[in-house]
Amino acid sequence: MNGWRWTAPEPLAVRSLTLPEAASCVVHTPLSLAAGEATVAPEAIGELRAPPRVVSQRLWGSRMRLRVRSCKFPQPSESLAVPPVIEHVAAPTADPGATPPSWTRIQPPTSVVRLEDRLYYVLQPPLELVFVERALEFPFHPFPYQLEGIAFLYPRTAALLADEMGLGKTMQAITAVRLLLHAGQARAVLLVCPKPLVTNWQREFHAWAPELPVTVVEGDAARRQWQWQLPDTPIRIANYEVVARDREVFDRLAEPYDLVVLDEAQRIKNHASTTAQVVRSIPRRRSWAITGTPLENSPDDLVNIFEFVSPGHLNHGMKPGRMARASADQVLRRTKDQVLKDLPPKLFRDAEIELSSAQRESYRLAEEQGVLRLAEMGEEATIRHVFELVLRLKQICNFDPATGESAKLERLAADLEEVADSGRKAIVFSQWVETLETLAAKLAHFRPLEYHGKVPGTRRDAILQQFRDDAQRSVLLLSYGAGGVGLNLQFAGYVFLFDRWWNPAVEDQAINRAHRIGAAGPVTVTRFLATGTIEQRIDQILQEKRELFDTVFNDAQAHEHSGLTQRELFGLFKLKCPTGPIRLAS
Amino acid sequence: MPSRDAKSSAAFGFYTVVEQPQIGLLGGYLVVNAAGRPLEFHCTAPVKPTRAQTILFGATLEPYLYGEHIGQALIRKAETLATVICTDRPQALAVRQYIDAPVALIVGEEASIRTSIATPSFTIGTVRLAVAGGFTGDESLVAERIALFAASMPLAEPFERIRQAIDEAQRGER
Repeated sequence: MNGWRWTAPEPLAVRSLTLPEAASCVVHTPLSLAAGEATVAPEAIGELRAPPRVVSQRLWGSRMRLRVRSCKFPQPSESLAVPPVIEHVAAPTADPGATPPSWTRIQPPTSVVRLEDRLYYVLQPPLELVFVERALEFPFHPFPYQLEGIAFLYPRTAALLADEMGLGKTMQAITAVRLLLHAGQARAVLLVCPKPLVTNWQREFHAWAPELPVTVVEGDAARRQWQWQLPDTPIRIANYEVVARDREVFDRLAEPYDLVVLDEAQRIKNHASTTAQVVRSIPRRRSWAITGTPLENSPDDLVNIFEFVSPGHLNHGMKPGRMARASADQVLRRTKDQVLKDLPPKLFRDAEIELSSAQRESYRLAEEQGVLRLAEMGEEATIRHVFELVLRLKQICNFDPATGESAKLERLAADLEEVADSGRKAIVFSQWVETLETLAAKLAHFRPLEYHGKVPGTRRDAILQQFRDDAQRSVLLLSYGAGGVGLNLQFAGYVFLFDRWWNPAVEDQAINRAHRIGAAGPVTVTRFLATGTIEQRIDQILQEKRELFDTVFNDAQAHEHSGLTQRELFGLFKLKCPTGPIRLAS
Repeated sequence: MPSRDAKSSAAFGFYTVVEQPQIGLLGGYLVVNAAGRPLEFHCTAPVKPTRAQTILFGATLEPYLYGEHIGQALIRKAETLATVICTDRPQALAVRQYIDAPVALIVGEEASIRTSIATPSFTIGTVRLAVAGGFTGDESLVAERIALFAASMPLAEPFERIRQAIDEAQRGER
């Protein structure tokens, strides 16, 4: 027979075509295509006038199997010790047939390497649908960036959520925990936070995951032992001190925690501290850290947090730019400017204050004597000596020790009059409890409330509630230490920094007590600065620290400023000093 | 209306084919439970017909590739039997003649119905669907089996997951 023959391994339907030049070709196609119409062009057949030969070509068929890659996925365990969620089908808010502009999808972290594992995350339904399907309700619908934060945390065994204060890190963490528990990927979660924030976390869990039972580990040793050993406890909350005190509990754990979350993780920035050591020793499968200030003084802060999150991932001595790249997949950092375009503005006023004559004289004497003493000490002078002088001078900038005069107080009192008259509320920050107590006495006509280290923990919630609800209590005096983190005071429209903290991150924490989600209007921040004093010089240092932070978290290409040096610190007083980097106290 | 138990044990298949100019056709089949969570996923190696195959199959090439060659291979590979299989590619309705489950085309802007393959469309809620021609009983089967699922899950959404998964698998190959 003249022509070409193709054979297929299946039962065949034979169809014949007549080709030009009287050549014939028989084409065998699978039976299923009997209805098809094959068109064969002459050039496909080849040189028709060539000597007759038979060429066989196999078309697709059952013996030419298509390679298929398959994955099966685990299903949520039914034995999870979480109250069962009532399964119901709620109509989504949007048209179910239409794809919304964007779904929030879980993307696998780069640490997940196996294709099957990566596909497990890629193929999960978007968060919006998970919430609907599981009937997970929220006090308010999360912002898109919050959903992204949840999608960031959920698949990660090592994560640092470093959003700026006020963006809702707490609800993002709670919701991610909630999803892990419901998906059966976690059964035992330990959340460690500063003591003043325990009740805040309890409240937030109640609001954002009301179906999850939460156990707070507290009380005397016997009670805590019982609480640590309670079976079927999906979520435990303990403060850092309790965790450090009960460290032996973690040596006896039958199973590691599925997840340990550290809130205000800057608490472990000191690598050698007992708290840091104990926290790092907790057996766990996942490690999440939460902080708005992952880098307060130097890149070492971040390295030490990573010793919990992902040990060995970052190293001391890494340059900030390299550190940013190395940690990029584990760190999520957003600022309000980036994600909350609609948040009311934060207005800064630098109130430059001229010291009163009495203050000026006290300041001059103290500085001269202090500098003289440091100079006499020569090489014996240490950072501690410098700090003592700095603190002394800053206190004089607040109040004259001899007369009690205070130019800042006069300005503050005038501003508070305006605040009170307008029916707004104000927060006043200082680093010293004594300063706050003095302010409370001198501003008594405003009936200010106090919240600092001397206020018992049992009274603190009531004070905050009174500040929020009582229209006659318009002023809250807060210490950076007690009130700088975790408090939601978005009903306050004014923040006064009576004195400046050592680093801008802590100041930002303080400011963001008021400037956060829920803020009804602009927040005015007044930073008092005594002109011609140590406060102005420190302000310059704070600015340099902001640049360091930006290098690591915002712009990997920015110049790699390494922060303060000992020379710069001694330079505050134009003193000769030893060389080498140092760390400031926070 | 299906019972809640029936709903919770039901599985739904989503099948699509991605065309990548330099690579060829990549098939993906996702089986999800009633909550939309993935149970199984299967994807094919790239299929690129030769010129001869293109010529010889002619107009039957696409239905053959989407239906018999890729679709059948994927769906038969799955261990979980889907009660309904959805697709967003009209050509993929051709897979219906090789499997027992009804196949529903989710009619979107890109999935204009080819009358030779699909019956006229019908709607479930706000979603427009069509079934393979010659399988007219499928319409009622699809409506019965997928209505509850479609009430809470946008039926077009899983195809985006499949496309991302195929991309991920392709990246893994490179």
